[in-house]
Amino acid sequence: MRPATALFRVAVAGQSMEPTFRDGDWLLVRRLRRPPRPGEVVVAADPREPERLLVKRVRSVAPDGVTIQGDHADPAESTDSRQFGPIPGSAVVGRPVFRYAPIGRFGLVR
Amino acid sequence: MDLRSILAPRLVAHAHCDIPCGIYDPTAATIAAQTVAKMVEKITGSTGGDDASRNTYIRSVAVKEEHAQICKKELLILWTDYFKPEHLEKYPKLHDTFWTAAKLCSKNKQSIDAKAAADLQAAVKEIADIFWATKK
Repeated sequence: MRPATALFRVAVAGQSMEPTFRDGDWLLVRRLRRPPRPGEVVVAADPREPERLLVKRVRSVAPDGVTIQGDHADPAESTDSRQFGPIPGSAVVGRPVFRYAPIGRFGLVR
Repeated sequence: MDLRSILAPRLVAHAHCDIPCGIYDPTAATIAAQTVAKMVEKITGSTGGDDASRNTYIRSVAVKEEHAQICKKELLILWTDYFKPEHLEKYPKLHDTFWTAAKLCSKNKQSIDAKAAADLQAAVKEIADIFWATKK
């Protein structure tokens, strides 16, 4: 899945990024043209199913790929690089910059 | 078109664990281990030499075999799919406990041994306790 525009919107499904994102949050995502940096949240193609997008945080960037992980404190709540290993840098699509819904959670993404 | 449908994203970004966590549950292994113990009890308590008694005896052995295998399978699912390196850091005995429990499944197939059956129940309980502790 490759959105054509420099900015696109996604809806978060699932709990693995809590407390940063909750199920149902709406995000504005900026397409990323540079390599991802450790610590930032990214939207990336699922290495097991490229048409499916994931949202996770970058743990590390190495020659063998980008390690991504959910923010949830319980590792059982997230399927990420701990199961499927690092993903290729080219799988990273964008970086969520703004959460625009629900209204009470309006704000910049950190 | 209302504002909500204008603003709603067309794309979904998944932040899941793939398998709903409720699917992982040590209860199946616990019941299988209990069944093994119950069958050992039935086998050792069986005395009659008539056809009905022999039938019960043989069925009990077959059920013991089957449930020892179920127990092993259920333990392997927890061991390989549920538990992660983070859990191992917190419970360093995790691998040993699974190894012991899986070996006890085999021992209960090979023998009619009340102690081996009790040991299996204890090992499965230890795993179940760790499992539920990780869910807190």
